[in-house]
Amino acid sequence: MYVSVRLAEEKCNGCRMCVFTCPDPNVFNFYKDKKKISVNASRCKGCGLCVVACPKEALSVSAG
Amino acid sequence: MSTRIITPVAEFADLLPQDYRELVANGPFFARRGLKDLGTFKEIIEEHPHCAGCGVALGVRLVAASLPAPADTIIIGTPGCSFFGLAQTAVNYSNTAFGNQNAVASGLKRMLSLRYPDRHKDVVVLVGDGGIADIGLDMTLHSWFRREKIVTIMVDNEVYGNTGGQESGMTKEGQVLNMAPGGKKFPKIPVFEIAKVSGCAYAAKVTVASPRMIEKAVNRAVLVARQVGPTYLQIYTPCPTNLKFSPDQTVRVAAEAEKGYYAVEEFITDEAARCLQQLTTES
Repeated sequence: MYVSVRLAEEKCNGCRMCVFTCPDPNVFNFYKDKKKISVNASRCKGCGLCVVACPKEALSVSAG
Repeated sequence: MSTRIITPVAEFADLLPQDYRELVANGPFFARRGLKDLGTFKEIIEEHPHCAGCGVALGVRLVAASLPAPADTIIIGTPGCSFFGLAQTAVNYSNTAFGNQNAVASGLKRMLSLRYPDRHKDVVVLVGDGGIADIGLDMTLHSWFRREKIVTIMVDNEVYGNTGGQESGMTKEGQVLNMAPGGKKFPKIPVFEIAKVSGCAYAAKVTVASPRMIEKAVNRAVLVARQVGPTYLQIYTPCPTNLKFSPDQTVRVAAEAEKGYYAVEEFITDEAARCLQQLTTES
């Protein structure tokens, strides 16, 4: 079982709070044109810092 | 480091790891990319073995993204939590015996000034509180007394994190830790105040809850160190593993500290302020 962050893309408004609070590099990618982020789950350690920081509740940490 | 060195020849490009190719194609070496671009480029720091929610790792990552010229920067580390992250960075890195970082940095800075007289080579010491405030305090202070033009950055997690949680000089008074069950008996060492009276041209105290302040302070520290003298930056990077809070609360803990005992502070000498003013006017 691997715990990592999941993104509900429709809720993301591209504020990038998650990008600035993640202790691990290259977990989040930001697309300027779409104003959305994407998640590289294999690099995530599941600490949940981004979940707390996200103002739109677009992120959650779960297994599977 | 010349950017030519990191550019692979076409014949061998396919053999290199994907991460390396991404770094060359979309890293911060060829185009100027700062903290505000984070998320849109390949970062120079790679996967590291820090604990989940590590404040030090966040501090190291934000500093690495804020460096004004990563291709011309050498980072000096010393054993401790900061070292785990730094060993994986795609910038020149030198590890030292515990506490010797500022002495090694002084030598490297002098050597680089001789070797590249026409080019700025930034020497950045990026170590933990144990390396600066305890074991390396003498080397650190003497490098400031000698006015060595190096940047000293402390990622202050207030504990010896990777050896099980011993108190460090920067631990808060009364803090109970795994290996300090009676609580610490004396206050934090005032390294920021010492820096102000020891020859530093610029000093700043920030936390990981303010990434933009970190970028501003790192930029100022590097630019002042190029021309004026030593600079010091102290970043509060709380440790969830040893300070016993949930790993998703690191930034909240830092933000609360920022409202209290770890308020953002900046010190700048008149000479350094004039230097920054001049650089702003020129750009």
